[in-house]
Amino acid sequence: MNSKDNIQSTNDSSEAAHKKAIISKKIIPYLLLLPVFFYYAVFWLFPVLSGMKEVFTDINGEFTLFSNFKLMLESDLFGEAVFNTATFAAVSVVLQYFLALMLAVLLSMKFRGSKLLMFVSMIPMAITPTAVAIIWKTGLVRDGWINSFLMQLSIIDKPIVFMNSEGLAAVFLIILIDTWTVTPSVMIILIAGLQGVQKELKEAAYLFGANKWRIFKDIIIPILKPSITTSIIMRLIAAIQVWAIAVMVLGYSKVPFLVERIAFYADVVPGVDTSSKIAFTLSFTTTLIVLAATVFYLMASKKRTFSGGEK
Amino acid sequence: MDKLNVIQKTVMTIVLATLVLIVVLPLMFFTTVSFSNAAEMSQFPKSMLPNFNVTVKVVPTEEGEFEVFYDSGEGYTSIITSKRASKLETHFTRQYAVTVPGEQLIEDFSQTLVKGPMEFTYKKDAFYNFKQFFSIVPNASTALKNSIIVSLMTILISLSIGSLAGYAMARYNFKLKRQINVSLLIVRMFPMVGISIPMAILLIRFGLFDTLIGLAFLYSIPNIALTSWITSSIFIGINKELEEASMVFGANNFQTFMRITLPLAFPALAASSMYSFLTAWNDTISALILTNENQTLALVVYKAIGTTSSGIQYAAAGSIVLILPALVFTFIIRKYIGQMWGGVEL
Repeated sequence: MNSKDNIQSTNDSSEAAHKKAIISKKIIPYLLLLPVFFYYAVFWLFPVLSGMKEVFTDINGEFTLFSNFKLMLESDLFGEAVFNTATFAAVSVVLQYFLALMLAVLLSMKFRGSKLLMFVSMIPMAITPTAVAIIWKTGLVRDGWINSFLMQLSIIDKPIVFMNSEGLAAVFLIILIDTWTVTPSVMIILIAGLQGVQKELKEAAYLFGANKWRIFKDIIIPILKPSITTSIIMRLIAAIQVWAIAVMVLGYSKVPFLVERIAFYADVVPGVDTSSKIAFTLSFTTTLIVLAATVFYLMASKKRTFSGGEK
Repeated sequence: MDKLNVIQKTVMTIVLATLVLIVVLPLMFFTTVSFSNAAEMSQFPKSMLPNFNVTVKVVPTEEGEFEVFYDSGEGYTSIITSKRASKLETHFTRQYAVTVPGEQLIEDFSQTLVKGPMEFTYKKDAFYNFKQFFSIVPNASTALKNSIIVSLMTILISLSIGSLAGYAMARYNFKLKRQINVSLLIVRMFPMVGISIPMAILLIRFGLFDTLIGLAFLYSIPNIALTSWITSSIFIGINKELEEASMVFGANNFQTFMRITLPLAFPALAASSMYSFLTAWNDTISALILTNENQTLALVVYKAIGTTSSGIQYAAAGSIVLILPALVFTFIIRKYIGQMWGGVEL
C-alpha cells in the first residue's frame, strides 16, 4: 500500500515536472513576441486610435459622425484628388505590369550581357523619390535636358513646354515618371517567379504540341501567379499613396492626389483647426481605401484560384 | 528550342536598347546638371556631358580694363568689363564655378595688354555645387548626419524586435499564430501617412516630437513586421537538426541562437536591414510632419527643390549625395533581394 503510494507520488511529480516544462516551452513564443506586441500597442494601435478619435470629434472636442467628412468633401480640390488618384493607380499599375512582364520574360532568356542589362535596369528603383523628382524636374523645364536632347537630335525645333500641363496630361506625366522608377522592382519579383518555371515543364508542353503563346498562358502565368499577386498588392498600395513626385515636379495643388492633399494641409496651411481635421480625415480615408484595395484583391485572387482548381 | 529568328532577335535588341537608353540617359544628363555652373545652366540646348573647363576671351579696353567674353553656344558675347580683382573673382566663382583668386586673373589678363585679345581656359572646381549645397542650404550637413543616425536607429529597432518575432513564428506552434501573422501583415500594409499625423500627437505627449528617435520609432513600424516576415521564412529553412546537435553538445538555447542560427540567418538580416535603411533614408512626408529643426537629408533636398528656382544645380548636387548611399546599399545587398524572392541570380 505504502509502496504503491510512493510510486503514485513519483509519477505525479514527474508528470508535474513534465507539465512545467511544457508550460514554459509554451510561453517561449509569447515571450519572443512580447516586444512586438508592446511596440505595436504603443506606436501603432495608439496613434491609429487617437487618429480615429480626431476624425470623429469636431473642433470643440464633441463627438460627431459626419461633420469632418463633410469638411473633407467640401475642401478644395477633393474631387479632383480622388479622380486623379484612381486614374493614377489604375493606369500606372497596368502599364508598369505590362512593361515589367515583358522585360522579365526578355531578361530571363539567358543571353550574353543579360546579367549586365538586369543590373542596369535595376538602377532606377535604388534612387530616392526626392532625387527622382529633381531628375525629372531638371528635364521637364523649358530649357531642361529633355528639350535639349530632342533639339540636338533635331526631332523638334521648338522646346516643348511640359510644366504647364494640366489635368489628365499632368497625371500622365506623373505616371510616366513613376513608371520609370518602380517598373524594376516589379520586374525583379517576376524574374524571381520565372526562375521557378522548370525547363522540363516547358519542354514537355512543346512535345505535346503547345506553341509559345500557349506555354506562356497555361504554364508561365499560373506559376507566376503568387509573385504577381504579391507585387500587384504592393504596387497598388504604393500607387494610392503617390504624392512626392507630383508636388516636387509640378508643385502643390497642380495635380491633386489624396496624399498630396494631406501633405498640403500639414505643410502649407498648418495650424488652422479645420486644416488639421481635414488632414486627419483624409489620412483615415486613404488608409481605408488602401486596406479595402488589399482585401478586395486578396479575395478576388483567391476566388479565381478556387474556380481554376475545380475545373 | 529557344532559338529566335532574325526578326525576333532584332525586335528584342531594339526593345533592350531602348530600355538601356531610358534608364541611362536621364541619369547621365542629371549628373551633368549637378556639375554645371550658372553659365552652363542658362544655356540652351544644354550640353549632354559634364564639362570641366571654362574658356573665356579677354580683350583689353582703352581705359585699361579687361572685357571678358564668354561663348554660350551662339558665339562670344561680352559679359563683364572690369579691372577690379574682387569683381572678377566674384563673377568667375558665381558664373563659372572657377575659384581662382582675382589677383591671379588680373595677372593672366595683363598679358593681353601686350599681346592683344587672348583666350584663357580655366579648370572648374568640380565639387563647387556640392560645397554650395552644404553652405547655402541651411542645416544641410546636420541633415546628412541626422539621416545616417535615423537610418541606423531604424535598423537597430527593427532587427532586434522583428527577428525575435520571426524566430517565434518559424519555430513554435502556438495558439493565435495565424491571427498574429495576419495582423503583422495588416500593420505592414498600413499606409505610413495614416500613422504619421496621429503619431505627431503621441510624440508630443512623450516629448519626442522633432527628435531623431521619434522618427526612427515611426519608420520601424512597417519594418518590424517586414523583418519578422523575412527572417521567419529564413529560420524555417535553417536545419533544425543543426540546432539540436548544438544542444546535445551542451549549448543552451541562447548560445545555440547566437552561434548557429544567427550566422545562418545573416542574409535575411542583411536584407531586412536594407529595407529599414531605405525606408528611413528615402522618406519625406513623415519627416515633414514630425520634425521642425531636426530635418533629414531627403527633406532638406525636397525643400531646396521647392524654394530655389535659380540654382537648381545646387539641389541637384545635394540629391546626388542623397542617391549615392541608397544606390550603393541596394547593390551591395542585391544578392539578398534576389534570395528573398526565391533566388534570382543578379
